[in-house]
Amino acid sequence: MPLAWRSLTANKWRLVRSSAGIGFAVLLMLMQLGFSQAFFDASLRVLRNLDGDLFLQSAHKYQFATQDPIPISLLAAARKVPGVASARPLYADWYDLYWKSPADGRLYLVRGFAFEPNQPVFRLPEVNADRAQLNNPGAVLVDRRGRRFLGMDTDVKQSEINDAKVDVVGKFTLGPDFMSDGTVIMGVDTFARLLRGRGGERPGMEAGVIKIAADADPRAVEKMLRQAMPANVAVLSKSQLLAFERAFQARVSSAGPIFAIGTVVGFVVGMLISYQIIFTEISDQLPQYATLKAIGYPSPYLLRVVLEQAALNGMAGWIPAWLLGLGLYHLIGVIALLPMRMTLEITLTSLGLTLAMCLVSAAVAVIRVIRADPAAVF
Amino acid sequence: MPTSGEGIGNAAEAAKSGQIFVTIALAWRILNHDKGRTLLALGGIFMAILLVFVQLGLFFSVPQGGMLLYDNMRFDLLLVSDQYEYQAQPGAFARARLDMLTAAPEVEAITPLYFGLAKWQSGEGGMWPDLFVIGLDPASSLFDPASIRRQQNLLSRPDTILVDSATRPIFGPLSSGRVVEINQRKETIAGHYRLGTGFMGLGVALISEANFARLFPERGLGLVNLAAVRLKPGIDPERAAAQLQHMVGPGLRLFTRAALAHHEASYWTTRTSVGLIFGSGLLISIVVGIMVVYQIVSAQIGRQLPQFATLKAIGYGDGALALTVAAMSIMIALAGFAPAVPAAAFIYREIRRQTMLPVILSPGQIGWVWVAALIMATISALLAVAALRRADPADVF
Repeated sequence: MPLAWRSLTANKWRLVRSSAGIGFAVLLMLMQLGFSQAFFDASLRVLRNLDGDLFLQSAHKYQFATQDPIPISLLAAARKVPGVASARPLYADWYDLYWKSPADGRLYLVRGFAFEPNQPVFRLPEVNADRAQLNNPGAVLVDRRGRRFLGMDTDVKQSEINDAKVDVVGKFTLGPDFMSDGTVIMGVDTFARLLRGRGGERPGMEAGVIKIAADADPRAVEKMLRQAMPANVAVLSKSQLLAFERAFQARVSSAGPIFAIGTVVGFVVGMLISYQIIFTEISDQLPQYATLKAIGYPSPYLLRVVLEQAALNGMAGWIPAWLLGLGLYHLIGVIALLPMRMTLEITLTSLGLTLAMCLVSAAVAVIRVIRADPAAVF
Repeated sequence: MPTSGEGIGNAAEAAKSGQIFVTIALAWRILNHDKGRTLLALGGIFMAILLVFVQLGLFFSVPQGGMLLYDNMRFDLLLVSDQYEYQAQPGAFARARLDMLTAAPEVEAITPLYFGLAKWQSGEGGMWPDLFVIGLDPASSLFDPASIRRQQNLLSRPDTILVDSATRPIFGPLSSGRVVEINQRKETIAGHYRLGTGFMGLGVALISEANFARLFPERGLGLVNLAAVRLKPGIDPERAAAQLQHMVGPGLRLFTRAALAHHEASYWTTRTSVGLIFGSGLLISIVVGIMVVYQIVSAQIGRQLPQFATLKAIGYGDGALALTVAAMSIMIALAGFAPAVPAAAFIYREIRRQTMLPVILSPGQIGWVWVAALIMATISALLAVAALRRADPADVF
């Protein structure tokens, strides 16, 4: 059994105490990392669920979720580009659709998406399964993960949008983001009817969803498509579209810095806690260390023992914190409808930060051991 | 032996009355004994308290962001549609419904406000960000800040706007005199004011009613989003709200300032995930703080265990020792709290700069963190006392 391990487990009560201390600092970092991830994940979720290789949208858009329609006629031009297998319209609205909640009878702003029922654009299986029904006037699909006050999680069959009767013919699972509380998806005829009166004319599309033929070279198609489009239309690959949205959220929203501050503070507090722990442990075991030195063990060996012990301390805090974090992620996902996921990235980042904070604080604390003069200790 | 028993009783009595000083002195001596360790402890508790400050600041900043506009407006009552959620989802009602109120004896003045979202077509890099436009009568004295009142008359010029200087860089330069295109109309930036954009959007501009009608021709001025009601001097807003509510009838709602603040706070903390995100951060911060103080205090106790056992052996009760521990915890919390306040003020300023959230260090907030610090100190003391209970004089030596 290595010395570090024995030294760690020599006092069970102290081990519990130290792993609780480090564990909560780790939990704090995990929550901040999780929120940050969930924030971006929520705002990118719709885009990830679009079934296309290339996308057309107004070049003036600063984020996807803003009204800036482009003409439908662009799709005909896109279909003429060799290698384009399909070009379909996606209609969207974030500001004008008011859903009457069956839960409390109040009107709530929701975001709405629409497509031609015979030209599916989503990768949501339930939407595609129910799309034939969207030909019926007034038929809508609602997000069962919409915020609860919308009442979309109930078995609502009928409600109203913009004072017009709608039939809820099915549900899908998407979840809210930080801008919209809930989502409705419908056929373009229903969409145009619900929004009529605002402009009168049929709405333009917010995006063109384009698929590239299997045998075509995606880069070549992208290039030709760009040439076929006017200057005020942007042609984006899926990864570009996601990067565009992520860059907007990171630049404009406060989420990035807020959660980064939380993570950094968690790290610093964790470092102090682990310094406190390792410092106490070393002080308590100074006679033992001095003895080891006296009988000829070199300083590098002692350094290694202390660092190993610090790493073990860190692990003893990280493992329960990670497990607790898993539970909390699930709980918050259910309560706040946030897509909290314990990703590999979060796992590795938190582990790296934990080990870093423990090892750095141990390296500072170890100076005391190195200086331990066997003659002075006793 | 009654006499000696009495003597011991008296001594215990005397010890009890002086006990509180003894425990404080003892706690002080213990902390003072190993300065390096205590300094380290202070660093820990300082960081924990700072952490609570950061989370609490963020938690409170969100409803504060919703109140930014209102806090800078002069009104006693706010009339809104009963569909009102928050500024960016205010609902609307017919302007004609204000006529009755204007005639009411309690009412001094009513200022209708129009909110609209317009395309700012002169953004950075060809972007067209959405501008939150607030339309009002330039002759009204609705806004408090001198920066607005001084320049409000500029709005009577056609196609002129005042821009909130917290408007994001994506809108491009905001220099006075710059002509920008908004909803296909050329508008001139006449000046700036600073309220903050809150939850209204990335950019906010003030504009006259007449210009508002030109920017949103389909909507015109028939529909009002909010109406700020000022009451005659000496009228109680609570009572006036109840009476006027009766007069305006269904579909409309009158808020007093207090009711509005309550509405905004509950909207942001319960209806969005904001409350949960910062609330859970706050909770974990407090737990981390407890862990830090506990860690420190129990380490100290561990080191002083023989001394504590000696005290026990010479007749100090568990209560006195627990008091000593509590005094230690509270002293540590106090000492960590003092430097945390200026540090929090500094961090808040950085957060304001980085996030545009109105994170403000108010006396109330300092009070809350102080309460949180005491709670952290008390709980960690209770935990640490459990370790002390085990101090058996016979065991230690």
